Amino acid sequence: MAPKLPPQHTLEQSSATTTAGQAQEHDHHHGGPTGIKRWLLTTNHKEIGTLYLLFSLSMFFIGGIFALVVRAELFQPGLQLVEPEFFNQMTTMHGLIMVFGAVMPAFVGLANWMIPLQVGAPDMALPRLNNFSFWLLPVAFGLLLSTLFMPGGAPNFGWTFYAPLSTDYGPPSTTFFIFSLHIAGISSILGAINIIATILNMRAPGMRMMDMPLFVWTWLITAFLLIAVMPVLAGVITMMLMDINFGTSFFDAGGGGDPVLFQHLFWFFGHPEVYIMILPAFGIVSAIVPAFARKPLFGYASMVYATASIAILSFLVWVHHMFVVGLPLAAELFFMYTTMLIAVPTGVKVFNWVTTLFRGSITFETPMLFALAFIVMFTIGGFSGLMLAIVPADFQYHDTYFVVAHFHYVLVPGAVFAIIAGAYYWLPKWTGHYPDERLGRWHFWLSVIGVNLTFFPMHFSGLAGMPRRIPDYALQFADFNMVSSIGGFIFGVSQLLFIAVLIKCVRGGEKAPAKAWDGAEDLEWTVPSPAPLHTFETPPDLTSQAPQRH
Amino acid sequence: MRMVLAWVTGMGAAFLLAPAVYANGWNMPVGVTEISQDIYSLHMAIFWICVVIGVVVFAVMFYSLFRYRRSQGAKADNFHENTTVEVLWTTIPLLILVGMALPATATLQKMYDPSGADLDVMVTGQQWRWHYEYLDEDISFTSSMSTPGTQIRGEEERADEYLLDVDNPLVLPVDQKVRFLLTSDDVIHSWWVPDLAVKQDAIPGFVNENWVRIEEPGIYRGQCTELCGKDHAFMPVVVHAMEQDDYEEWLADRKEEAEAEANSVDREWEMDELMERGEQVYGSVCATCHQDDGSGSGEFPALAGNEEMLDDVDWHIDAVVNGVSGTPMAAFGGNLNAVELASVITYERNAWDNDTGDVVQPSEIQELLE
Amino acid sequence: MWNVIKSVLAAFFGVQKERRRQEDFTHGEPIKFIVVGILLAIVLVVVIAMIALTVAG
Repeated sequence: MAPKLPPQHTLEQSSATTTAGQAQEHDHHHGGPTGIKRWLLTTNHKEIGTLYLLFSLSMFFIGGIFALVVRAELFQPGLQLVEPEFFNQMTTMHGLIMVFGAVMPAFVGLANWMIPLQVGAPDMALPRLNNFSFWLLPVAFGLLLSTLFMPGGAPNFGWTFYAPLSTDYGPPSTTFFIFSLHIAGISSILGAINIIATILNMRAPGMRMMDMPLFVWTWLITAFLLIAVMPVLAGVITMMLMDINFGTSFFDAGGGGDPVLFQHLFWFFGHPEVYIMILPAFGIVSAIVPAFARKPLFGYASMVYATASIAILSFLVWVHHMFVVGLPLAAELFFMYTTMLIAVPTGVKVFNWVTTLFRGSITFETPMLFALAFIVMFTIGGFSGLMLAIVPADFQYHDTYFVVAHFHYVLVPGAVFAIIAGAYYWLPKWTGHYPDERLGRWHFWLSVIGVNLTFFPMHFSGLAGMPRRIPDYALQFADFNMVSSIGGFIFGVSQLLFIAVLIKCVRGGEKAPAKAWDGAEDLEWTVPSPAPLHTFETPPDLTSQAPQRH
Repeated sequence: MRMVLAWVTGMGAAFLLAPAVYANGWNMPVGVTEISQDIYSLHMAIFWICVVIGVVVFAVMFYSLFRYRRSQGAKADNFHENTTVEVLWTTIPLLILVGMALPATATLQKMYDPSGADLDVMVTGQQWRWHYEYLDEDISFTSSMSTPGTQIRGEEERADEYLLDVDNPLVLPVDQKVRFLLTSDDVIHSWWVPDLAVKQDAIPGFVNENWVRIEEPGIYRGQCTELCGKDHAFMPVVVHAMEQDDYEEWLADRKEEAEAEANSVDREWEMDELMERGEQVYGSVCATCHQDDGSGSGEFPALAGNEEMLDDVDWHIDAVVNGVSGTPMAAFGGNLNAVELASVITYERNAWDNDTGDVVQPSEIQELLE
Repeated sequence: MWNVIKSVLAAFFGVQKERRRQEDFTHGEPIKFIVVGILLAIVLVVVIAMIALTVAG
């Protein structure tokens, strides 16, 4: 029998203060490791956050280049630039890199930077684990990108890697792809554990759950989703690994297996994954809209409830990706009804943002522009999602460019715009300087024009009958594709402006005070800009303050 | 700000008018079956519901953005939370959704009733072509894309039916309930014709069901819609719907041809005949992977000068009839008849300077198949 | 118990009166809400499944 330990919280508090105290002393008197070692060994949430964000940015550009190869080939009918085999590798790698390498790490990076600041904690709960979860990512994606140079080429079966195309018919590099996804999955799970531990244990005294900023709330729920579904992904890719290398037949009908089982398992992971990529975006927009409308969020509690509802419903809708695989009528009806239900909490979110704007005092700085564009275009993506939920109509939409238009509307002007909005919003806190407003506006307008030119015509080409994942297409789709390709290049090139903004902002610019935006209310705006390496070593005491939100 | 409003109005107008003005080629086809017309109505209904909700929400949003600018001296209010409003904006969407779910459910029930079919067609997906078998008629054939590579590579002007034309279309009678049984020999494919509103996955080891009752004669085109490998873009579906009389005439011709071919198995074939027939078969079945000039591509080996194949005719026959395990080479014994198999093997052994002089007779293959 | 169920149902619907919310957060035990929440989520699934099965015949 182990000796009785003192109650958990006192232990944690005391150890947290001592480590933070030591680190600070270390910093001031001896200087930490320098050069590359500083970044390899860092356990500081701000430095790790920066690493995550830079990693995600580089993946965003690599994945973007793959997308531009696809768009260049599709500029005109016929095969001009690449062979179909390589085209398939490009679509696959674009999807995998953007989902697992760009969007997810960007949100984890923002969480690392902002969650401790927003809950008044000195650091993440598990700093060394934090370092480990980041450094797994370059390994995973280095491995994934290296498959491009392997004999037989990179994975070419789509980011959804349906069996048996990915098992019996996949290239030899598939095993490496599986390994890299395992590593990325471990990174996500560890990151999620860290975030949950931080939020539940390290809030400043007096901050109750319903006082937390929505970014913290949405990330808490996202982290639970990650822990619930990443093991399912790990399971399904392990089954693939066994089928490919060890002679099992989980997904091979010839050996008594079931290819449809693969799709059930994949989408049981895949649908919550979609919400993992959008819930933190809701949190960011819910911080920015009130800040620039100078008015509290209309329904804080209902936003929390809606996030939770969406998270729970996300486990009950996976079959809506599989309406044409030949399932019984009752199953199709069940999943149609649950999918339609998701529109309700999603609508509640949009209504809340709009009502927050009503009778505010609104200004249009770059973060607000991106957040407003998010609301409009995410809603358009939501509408096409609702259309896709209608099963009979889905028989026509499924696997066409209409679907491509739908999920790019929720992911690009959805998730990616929210990440960019968050970056513009918090850059003064990170660097101490305001981002260049004029460049920011150019970045915004070119992005909006590029995104809509790229993805809006895809609704039409999809409805007119163009299947997805094809390197060449019939002549009636030519005009739409040409517009999409031009838009894609405008969007891609205009992201270079973002790099310019970032570099300019790091090197100088208008000095930002602690509270960089006059309407911003959360705790991160109480520490100096730029935020010093160590913050909240003595937690702020909120017990005496009037409750923040109620 | 004025610019923004103009842009938003412009986008909105384009979005609303586009489908009406360009009904052809911008929107889902109305189609030629009762189901496809039901689906089109569902699609338009949900579209207009979304448009109305969108107009209301965005109107409030852009009004607020315009009216409550701080630059115009707007002072922020502080109101938040209102139970009545929140109950309303939860309940109204719920009611709209129930209203949408009812007709969708009814249509789906109709789609899920394949009973009372007049004709059964087995549809088998293969990398990268479709195989059709008329179950009660003892007729079967393979349907491959007929668009030549010269058009794909831009060496020749592209035809109107570019990528959407096949050598042997599926021929169906109008006003008859046709039941499809779909499966696959290799990976998952999906058989789709937009005008018929039939899209159904063809899954190896499983048989899916769907059905159609075409109301108008015509030629309807579609494509494979599930990524199935490198030539996924090049496996079109063409359905030729005919009046009952024409269909029966076609059926009779097809049967006669099949019979003639069956009878010709036993006779001695000349090299020239086999080469001519073999070139056809090769073009429709083999060329997607091994290329027209037998030069191969990627993991698909060249056949011109292929020593393993040329040295051993029995190995060659076995490879074509039973496939080569561990490679993408499929077994063609079930899909091609003895004449087609014999002629394509003869062709491969003598084309492109292979010149072995070997002649493989259909009767040899027939024995092997039995 | 009835109050807990009412609160969870309100959360499912997404709207709750501020006064009741305050009450739940000051006096309620979290575990009760979690258990009732899970049970009611299962009930929701069963109800939708029953509807689907009935309609499908």
